[in-house]
Amino acid sequence: MSILLNQDTRVLVQGITGRVGRAQTHWMLEYGTNIVAGVTPGKGGEEVEGIPVYDTVAEAVVRQGAEASVFFVPATLVKDAALETMESGIRLIVIVTEHVPIHDVMELRAYALERGVRILGPTSPGIITPGEAKMGIMPGNMFSPGRIGVISRSGTLSYEISINLVAAGLGQSTAVGMGADAVVFTSMPELLELFAKDPDTDLVVIVGEVGGTQEENAAQFITRQMTKPVVAYIAGHNAPEGKRMGHAGAIIQGSMGTPQSKVTALRQAGVQIAEHPLAVVELVQKLL
Amino acid sequence: MRLYEFEGSDLFRREGIPVPNYAVTSSPREARQKAEEIGLPVVIKAQVLVGGRGLAGGVQVADSPDQAEEVAHRILSYSISGLPVQRVIVAQKVEVAREFYLGVTVDGYSGTPVVILSTAGGVSIEEMARAHPERVVSRQVPIATGLLLSEAQQMAQEGGLGGEELVQVTSILHTLYSVFRKYDALIAEINPLARTAQGNYLALDAKVEIDDSSLYRHPEFQVNREDRITNPLERKGAQIGVTYVDLDGEIGIIASGAGLGMATMDIIGRRFRPANFLETGGAISADLLYQVMDLVLQKKGLKAVFINLYGGINPIHEGAKGIVRYLREHKTTIPIIAKALGNRQEETWEILESGGVKVVTEVATEKGVEQLARLLEGGK
Repeated sequence: MSILLNQDTRVLVQGITGRVGRAQTHWMLEYGTNIVAGVTPGKGGEEVEGIPVYDTVAEAVVRQGAEASVFFVPATLVKDAALETMESGIRLIVIVTEHVPIHDVMELRAYALERGVRILGPTSPGIITPGEAKMGIMPGNMFSPGRIGVISRSGTLSYEISINLVAAGLGQSTAVGMGADAVVFTSMPELLELFAKDPDTDLVVIVGEVGGTQEENAAQFITRQMTKPVVAYIAGHNAPEGKRMGHAGAIIQGSMGTPQSKVTALRQAGVQIAEHPLAVVELVQKLL
Repeated sequence: MRLYEFEGSDLFRREGIPVPNYAVTSSPREARQKAEEIGLPVVIKAQVLVGGRGLAGGVQVADSPDQAEEVAHRILSYSISGLPVQRVIVAQKVEVAREFYLGVTVDGYSGTPVVILSTAGGVSIEEMARAHPERVVSRQVPIATGLLLSEAQQMAQEGGLGGEELVQVTSILHTLYSVFRKYDALIAEINPLARTAQGNYLALDAKVEIDDSSLYRHPEFQVNREDRITNPLERKGAQIGVTYVDLDGEIGIIASGAGLGMATMDIIGRRFRPANFLETGGAISADLLYQVMDLVLQKKGLKAVFINLYGGINPIHEGAKGIVRYLREHKTTIPIIAKALGNRQEETWEILESGGVKVVTEVATEKGVEQLARLLEGGK
């Protein structure tokens, strides 16, 4: 078991004929992902890595039974494409694309909430259920099957933490990249709730960073209803105030978004805080 | 992209939010002329992209043409928070009877616009919310319907406004919301909105930040974004398409992701001081890493460079070629140490080692930083 994605999930790749879409389709297939179709308007009838390409999402759903979609669509087209995808009945979307306008995200978020569609991102590395499937760009060799759930605001840092766990003989049930923008579709508490319900997850690792209030909201959720142990590492202790640290959402604004605020909130909720990435491993070992 | 006050005021004027008469100039002589045209007294305000200019002397009143020239000359010689003042606004000075705060911003967690109204203005909204929470009314707005005039009126009522004030303030708030939406703003703020002694309502300041990701659909803001970055290394970073944040230390950092870069800073910061934060984003190529090496090595007083790469979306073997090409073409005496994991990692290691880079093959960044420490201490 796992959350959101497994080896049977029928995956669609949108933007499959682009440079990144092609390369990542290769890696996802090699990992074992059940990719059933690709979509690029105007490229219907072609194939990428043996996967049939369609002009529209509706065709991919009707002909190949696609049920989840990963986006390598240019930022300027994401809003339109995501509306089309939701209209076509897809229930899970992973948006890898960076630099999607925030007003587009706000509009899509309202629409997705109304329709009950789960979206991850934008600027998400994706989801991986090790040993089964991945939707996104994370390198497969950083993960291994196991019983730890990983929720991360950063792609590369989730790789580092996951491979540290793997090196210690600990694997992941599922690792989820929330996306690095100031507004994301799925919140940290929502993901904690999914892991809480997953019988094959024993513990959750949160990989947070400066900016926003996801971690503070996660702390509230944990205090109220989290049933499994949680370990967290918050990146950016040396981040200066008022600078965007590479991610649109990673910015300390006055007293908001500081690592201290997040660490304090999570500690009060009973979460074990790692002072540096490798310390996550020791804390996890202690709690299991 | 944060707009200067005069750009925000231009936007307000165009969209129907009343502003006092004003002109922008970078010449004291012209400031004098404009003051005469607008009518004295005038307020002369430094145009900088940081807060706190009032306390720094960047806002002053002039009662005569001579004084206008002199004040403009003085303000144009200031630096505020390290930023040289290049322009001033010369604005009609109005007699203020009452001040309000109006703002629209993005609530990151709920992913909705949030509208804020305070029946007192002039100080920062954070301070106002602390000192007089009863005067601050805020509301999340469903983006599909937008801010209804009736909702704005309810907010004004909750804040204790009535009569003509309620009508005028809510009409401006309603327009401010449409400015926020139309221009893809992250923040649109009027602080203060003034009711003048004559009963006019005027926006006396304009703080607007536009979402960088939306600039492609706003040709009206096709200014050179990089020119607004005053730190030369940070500007160069923006020009080559990476995020560089200048810090006060001696170890250069190059990371292929933002979270990884911040964590690398945290780890290095436990023993040394990071000289910079640099995040390449997902478009690594040989050329990009060549330019990134050139940028990071420009920093004075560097003792080493630590490179931390993951090959997910990034072709790290291509990046490695750029690093090695840079090192072959330039004499570099400080140690360069690299950790690179992910797709095609072995190939990447070979390339890096061929160029004299010390490669760390352990997975934890902490182990890499230990090697860095040994290298630096061995070199002493």
